[in-house]
Amino acid sequence: MTLIIERAGLTTVQDYGRPGWAHLGVPHSGAVDRGSFLLANRLAGNEHSAAMLETSGGLSLRASVAVTVVITGADTDAYVNDQPLAHCKATLVHPGDAIRINRVLDGMRCYVAFTGGVHGLAQLNSLSHDSLSEIVPMPLTAGGEITLGTADRLATSLDVPIVPRRSPRLRLHVGPHHSLLTPEQRHGLATQQWITAQDSNRIGVRLTSSALRRNEFPELLSLPLVRGAVQLTPGGELVVMLADHPTTGGYPVVGVLASDAVDDIAQRPSGTPVVFGW
Amino acid sequence: MPGDLVTANDSSPRVIAYGLEATMINGLIAGEAAVVRTAMLRACAEQHVSINDVVAGARSVVITHPRDNAEVVRALLGSIDVSGAVKVSPVATPSVTLAVHYNGPDLDYVARQCGLTSQEVVTLHSGAKYVVEFCGFSPGFAYLTGLPAVLHLPRRATPRPRVPRGAVAIAAQYSAVYPRESPGGWHLLGVTDHELWNMARDQPATLTPGTIVSFEQIV
Repeated sequence: MTLIIERAGLTTVQDYGRPGWAHLGVPHSGAVDRGSFLLANRLAGNEHSAAMLETSGGLSLRASVAVTVVITGADTDAYVNDQPLAHCKATLVHPGDAIRINRVLDGMRCYVAFTGGVHGLAQLNSLSHDSLSEIVPMPLTAGGEITLGTADRLATSLDVPIVPRRSPRLRLHVGPHHSLLTPEQRHGLATQQWITAQDSNRIGVRLTSSALRRNEFPELLSLPLVRGAVQLTPGGELVVMLADHPTTGGYPVVGVLASDAVDDIAQRPSGTPVVFGW
Repeated sequence: MPGDLVTANDSSPRVIAYGLEATMINGLIAGEAAVVRTAMLRACAEQHVSINDVVAGARSVVITHPRDNAEVVRALLGSIDVSGAVKVSPVATPSVTLAVHYNGPDLDYVARQCGLTSQEVVTLHSGAKYVVEFCGFSPGFAYLTGLPAVLHLPRRATPRPRVPRGAVAIAAQYSAVYPRESPGGWHLLGVTDHELWNMARDQPATLTPGTIVSFEQIV
């Protein structure tokens, strides 16, 4: 059960991550958009944490056996041979067929699951590519192969595809340094128009604004970070922690996003407005 | 980057929410975080409370957990006797001695800044007993408390783009060993051959929270 990689593009192998090692400085890692990841495994008939591909495009695979593929997450320009590959549909791919994910449309990454799941030799109990620590159990290179497990459940399709939703207002939950903020600063976080910056990646989303205000918080002792933690930098920008976030940090954590809000913000391309609320 | 400076925190431990899926205890004193971490792991196992990670910071511990377990985790954290917890059995505490070549590029600079000779810096650094307060920055990178106060210096103004694997370093109140080649802003005193991080081992990290560490000069 294999797929041949013709072009890897902007693709990594991801499962549900590497819990249980953060106390040693190892990021949790795993799929950035957990909702889309879980949906892909559900439709593919896999265990909820089965490994799959997370890609921002440029991916080209050739099937050497018949496989069932499901795409979720950001809408994509994707094909099996010359036929468009539909979103959230279990699609049977025949031996010799080419699967191409050219690019993502209106989002940052999509999830490509195969019935049976991607198999390989785990590192610290996970196949996830951790971009911060450079823990890469399964590097993807042109000419390489992807091994799949055997399917023991049937795949299903959705009649109407689910694509990442974009909430008009993302709720901030109280974080460790809430009490450091003045009422004006809390109000400012919720009324400022934030914009996703260009250099966002699997580690975090940077948010900037046309009305940045510097702050004079004391330098803090390192504290553990969590997925969704919103850090305020001295220059007034925000950084939202995603899957590969460092395990500790020294900037004030002014709020925390719930899991579905992390999925949402992680799928916003650079230049997208973000509004927070308490 | 490692090497956050000390600032005074209010001292009594407090349990606070960290979003919906994490809870934090902060305001601990030096050395308590690793002990609270161990006590919390034990309490959650005994009470069958499902949690994801228990991570020590400097003076804080964060537990990540399913959303529904926030209340019970909060109650367990509040019930830990922090002062009693420090009296942990020494038998259960791992200790390690790392052999160091004290030939680092910053040894002379550190000596000048501290008004000491290089050999005095080496004697002080290798004569102290250290404890891993927490890990962070990169896998296996441990923040060691116990550095003699005379050696406390701010980080380098400009970090080095490349610090070699095994570099033994100091910054602020901490000492550390770089587990792999990486950028770094700490002062480099020497290098150890000890492999601090290896994912092929059952215990990938040599230095885990609570481990007692000594450095020994190779002459």
